[in-house]
Amino acid sequence: MPTIKLLFNKTLSLKITKLKIVLKIRKFEIWKIKNMSDYKNIINNINTLAKKIIKPVNLMEVCGTHTQAISRYGIRQLMPANINLITGPGCPVCVTDQSDIDNLVSLALAGIPIATYGDTIKVPGDFGSLEDAQRKGAKIFAIYSVEEALELKKQHPDLVFFGLGFETTAPMTAYAIQNGLTVYSAHKLFLPAMTHLLKNGLTNIDGFINPGHVSVIVGTEAYNKIQAPQVITGFEAEDVLVGIYLLLKQIHEKRQDVENEYTRAVTENGNAKAYNLIFEVFESGDGLWRGLGMIPNSGLKISIKYQAQDAKVKYQNILNKIKHTYKKNAACKCGHIIQGALKPQQCPMFNTVCTPDKPFGPCMVSSEGACNIEYNN
Amino acid sequence: MNNLIKIDEGGGGQASADLIKEIRDILNIKNKWTNCNDDAAIFNTGKEKIVFTTDAYIVDPIFFPGGDVGKIAMSGTINDLSVMGAKPIGISLSIVIEDGFPKDDLKKIMQSINNVSREAQVPIVTGDTKVTDKGKLDKIVITTSGVGLAQNIISNNGAQPGDFIISSGDLGEHTIALLSKRFNYQTKIKSDSHAFNFELAQVGKYLKACKDPTRGGLAANIIEIADKSKVKIILDEKTLPYKKETTAISNLLGLDVFSLASEGRFIAAVSPKNINKTLTLLKKFNKEARIIGHAESGKGVFLKTSLNTLRPIKMPKGKLIPRIC
Amino acid sequence: MCLAIPGKIILIKEDKAEADFMGARKEVNISLIDLKLKQGDYVLIHAGFVIQKLSTKDAKNSLDAHNKIVIQ
Repeated sequence: MPTIKLLFNKTLSLKITKLKIVLKIRKFEIWKIKNMSDYKNIINNINTLAKKIIKPVNLMEVCGTHTQAISRYGIRQLMPANINLITGPGCPVCVTDQSDIDNLVSLALAGIPIATYGDTIKVPGDFGSLEDAQRKGAKIFAIYSVEEALELKKQHPDLVFFGLGFETTAPMTAYAIQNGLTVYSAHKLFLPAMTHLLKNGLTNIDGFINPGHVSVIVGTEAYNKIQAPQVITGFEAEDVLVGIYLLLKQIHEKRQDVENEYTRAVTENGNAKAYNLIFEVFESGDGLWRGLGMIPNSGLKISIKYQAQDAKVKYQNILNKIKHTYKKNAACKCGHIIQGALKPQQCPMFNTVCTPDKPFGPCMVSSEGACNIEYNN
Repeated sequence: MNNLIKIDEGGGGQASADLIKEIRDILNIKNKWTNCNDDAAIFNTGKEKIVFTTDAYIVDPIFFPGGDVGKIAMSGTINDLSVMGAKPIGISLSIVIEDGFPKDDLKKIMQSINNVSREAQVPIVTGDTKVTDKGKLDKIVITTSGVGLAQNIISNNGAQPGDFIISSGDLGEHTIALLSKRFNYQTKIKSDSHAFNFELAQVGKYLKACKDPTRGGLAANIIEIADKSKVKIILDEKTLPYKKETTAISNLLGLDVFSLASEGRFIAAVSPKNINKTLTLLKKFNKEARIIGHAESGKGVFLKTSLNTLRPIKMPKGKLIPRIC
Repeated sequence: MCLAIPGKIILIKEDKAEADFMGARKEVNISLIDLKLKQGDYVLIHAGFVIQKLSTKDAKNSLDAHNKIVIQ
């Protein structure tokens, strides 16, 4: 079991008023979690804090792997009644707008080989899913790494890689573009979405369980501009429980800090090389998120320098002709579910017409989607 | 119902079960055969029971660490008879080969089949060989059918509250070995493919329900036992029968470890009074044989997590697709 | 998002490395990390690329004594 190290976070804040220099030192507890009695210990502490806070608290996790971890360990079963763990839009497949799915399916049906990460191939759009296109003869490759795509390109020179994912995954696509891969980018930046959710979201968010691996790339400093209690959390059971505890402590003490529970992997500056590579290849601009709409500065578009490998430019003749009617979208509540505004059970299609075998929307397709996870638990 | 067959419907998950039901609804003549919805059908002659089963083997790659398509084709059918409590007496072998398939490869596969035949002491007694045009088939498809004789049939619905659930060894290793070439990793894990007729015969009389977790992995097969026996089964995370390397590779690729197939293992329900002798006998064949859970009244299959919470185990989806996110 | 798992570096060859995952070995790409990696380092891998180096002590799940959780 992981040991969470002491983190000293010295925040120097210069208060010019009355020429006072306030030195804030935040010392975070060292946790040593040995066995079940320690889990009980953290859970007791969570219960104690929840009682003191009294009112309902909404903690949003924004990473599909956290959604999975919470289900996997049955963490919701251990939460006091007033603590709600809400699933946010951290599943990249789930937040990919249907227009992008329709575009890729159209390219596939036009004979262009497509490679993408796993779950994506099952997401249904107006013209079916990529998997349906494969059934009709299109060449679709579900891959684990862009390296496989680069390899496939040798046999299929006109291969297009459907790039999706956040700050953790965009560097890999950037690397692949620099190595000659043609890409349709649906990549997004996650941090702008967190601010958007606080301002315009349909749910009240009292704190964020910050995404562990996005944080490995962006570091901890980047989150300071987000005005909410945050804890960057790892993915083991004890990480998540400690993260929840630290958030409740912030809420109880009326603080809004960025705390790092995942110190074994996340540093203040993150992985600068990977992060900077994103911006050597991409530019940020408007990003279209399923259910959340347009979020400024959250979309990653391939820069002019690499235009020759931008599938949106290369195949604009096909893409411009596509009429997006969003038929599939109409009844699907995925857009509300990914913001935590609705629970999967509140979607009329959940577990009736929409199941993992016959999914209507990406929340049911993706193994990180809230509906899929709810169905399986 | 969909009008085009989907790859998921061959994956052993819910979609497969649905397709098989559709087919069974059409093929409704059984005469005196019973148990036709199971691993093997039964014909009671009065003196003993004839057990009959069949399976087709399509595998990519056809040669993998620990075996090849021939080894699993032969072992698989022998095992399907064994889990019913039958002594396999003869296997038929049907091969369909693509034009251009290397003859040496065919000979290697036949040799593998012969090795299993010799070790398990079960003969191939009849067969058929066809060759298709190039492109009309992917390399080779092998179908084996098997006949066995049994006095007492081991059911898959005899688990009762209080019974222990056991596994004859570590699971999932066939799939892990098979995927190593596709996903480019090196592993010491070899396919667990082997014929377990002798192993199972030692403990057959103690098994109240038994399945071999091939397609659909542990999840699909334990759910079948629980549903058919009308019990609730709780597996313990602390005693799950998977090597660390298996779990690590599943985590790396984002696969569900419970859906990984084994080709030489069985899971079973055993009453408390027989558990010690059953495990003592099984450990002679595989020291990883162990208790992995227990049955209670109720329904469903659950995993008791390291936090003592209960997490439901559901039928696997179908084709294994890796995820990165 | 971001399924990443820890592995141990066994061999380094230019911009690639061979990583060990509890016995399984896979080639991973190390061009997205600035730190100098060496044999025996524990790293975090996402989609076939190393994204971070982990401290050996943490990665090996050290059981050295530390303070317990502060009771409120």
